[in-house]
Amino acid sequence: MERRKYPLYFSYPAVVVFLLFFIAPTLIGVYYSFTNWNINADSVKFIGFDNYAALFQEPRLGKALSNTLIFAAAVTVLQNVIGFALALVMNESIRMRNFFRTVFFMPYVIAPIIIGYVFRAIYHPEHGIVNKLLEGVGLGFMAQDWLNDPKWALFSIIITDLWKVSGFAMVIYLAGLQFIPKDLLESAAIDGANYWHRLKNIILPLIASSTTVNILLSLIGSMKVFEMVMVLTDGGPGYTTEVFYTYIRSTFSMGEMGYSTAINLVLFALVTLVGLPVLAALKKREVEM
Amino acid sequence: MRRGGKQLALYLVVLLGALVILVPFYMILVNSFKGIRESALFGMGLPSEWLFANYEKVFEQGNIVRGFKNSFLLAGLTVLCVNLFASMAAFVIQRRDDRLMRSLYLTFIIGLIVPVSIVPTIRLMDILGIKGTYFSMIMYYTAVLLPFSVFLLVGFMKQIPRELDEAAMIEGAGFFRLYFRIILPLLITVLVTVSIVVIVSVWNDFFGPFYLVTDSTKWTIVLQIFNFVSLYNTNWGVVFAFMVIVVLPVLLIYLLLQRYIIDGLTAGSVKG
Repeated sequence: MERRKYPLYFSYPAVVVFLLFFIAPTLIGVYYSFTNWNINADSVKFIGFDNYAALFQEPRLGKALSNTLIFAAAVTVLQNVIGFALALVMNESIRMRNFFRTVFFMPYVIAPIIIGYVFRAIYHPEHGIVNKLLEGVGLGFMAQDWLNDPKWALFSIIITDLWKVSGFAMVIYLAGLQFIPKDLLESAAIDGANYWHRLKNIILPLIASSTTVNILLSLIGSMKVFEMVMVLTDGGPGYTTEVFYTYIRSTFSMGEMGYSTAINLVLFALVTLVGLPVLAALKKREVEM
Repeated sequence: MRRGGKQLALYLVVLLGALVILVPFYMILVNSFKGIRESALFGMGLPSEWLFANYEKVFEQGNIVRGFKNSFLLAGLTVLCVNLFASMAAFVIQRRDDRLMRSLYLTFIIGLIVPVSIVPTIRLMDILGIKGTYFSMIMYYTAVLLPFSVFLLVGFMKQIPRELDEAAMIEGAGFFRLYFRIILPLLITVLVTVSIVVIVSVWNDFFGPFYLVTDSTKWTIVLQIFNFVSLYNTNWGVVFAFMVIVVLPVLLIYLLLQRYIIDGLTAGSVKG
């Protein structure tokens, strides 16, 4: 059937909703980031680059930027390493495989705010299970006030996020592994390729599309982290765990809407910068559409 | 012998991993039955006395039923909008496959990547005169969840042969008939995946309602627990009970329909 016969109007509902409620706020945001829009002002006035000038003088922006990047990099790398390792093990015929797969993915469907509350209990300096375990095995000197110690707070949030997202990466990798023909691996083994060779030369190249999807999703997702940080530390102690969305929330709560919109746009630029190369990789898939 | 030892070691690693995942769940559950003093110790042991009073206290808050209703309403209506709009769009995007549709597809993909401008969204809802309404929330969620759904559905649509369309048209079916009677039924698996992703996202979301809903009668269950913890964080037993209540519906949906999540994500995101 001729391609152009398919009616365009089928796409209109999605296009209208997406343009109006996703694209339009972004564009409006560009305008408001150049205004003094705040809770006390009688009228919204155009103030040029004032918000940005003030923003880039704040050390707090630097903290939010570096924390967001550290968080995103650490989560992306570790989530993929853990997820891939789990997938390799789960791809073997081990007992109760389906049960384990169900369990590993489970945290992914839990609200981040709830995960934050549980881990507040888990990291509790006196009664939390982490410190109790350390004391139990004679490593009591390693016990910390995980969320209130500037040295450990961001680390503890990263671990919490990994607890949530590793199972997701595992599922995507498992899917990729299932497309690798078993006899290919067997004949390589017969030819004398050891496990590392098979991993490097057969498995890794053949699961490239899983890797792309996983890296894209964890990078993008972790740069937008909000609820978990808000509940665990709310950016503290000081600004040691401040990320973009906690910064936006705090300026918004002070009624500085124009200013918080400017911060949002900096995040927008950052995510676009990091996301574009990965998007290019995804576009290759689109060719096959 | 050596092989057996290796298998055992792998098994122990998996077992340990599963334990790390399950302990926090167990902790929530077991402490939700403990009194105020005992629950504050976050112990792993069974309660010295099983208390159901924590659950009663949560329900006594009164608003919880309303919170549940709000969450269900938003999740349900968003599922309808996203499934309908995304599948219709994916149908023409994949079938026409011309320059216009390719740029539309790309626009949606970009929406998958860039962050929402949340504060200006409040302003937009104000301008449109729908600030704080259920309708505004449903539209917000639909817009945010469309990109991922279009992405999954376009990937899946490739597997439905065009010959089917032609046959239907020769039989004299119009486009609506073709779409609703023939295409939609074939998309069921992936539509279930989309629905689960939408339900879980809307149910668990704090970000959206935190900014967009001011009227406490329209609060979702997640907003209620946030408010509850800020006010009553001295009684962990009750907080744990509240957590069980919030987690239970999504956990049940996941355990019942997990096959669809995993199959759908696999088909949509890896096969390409």
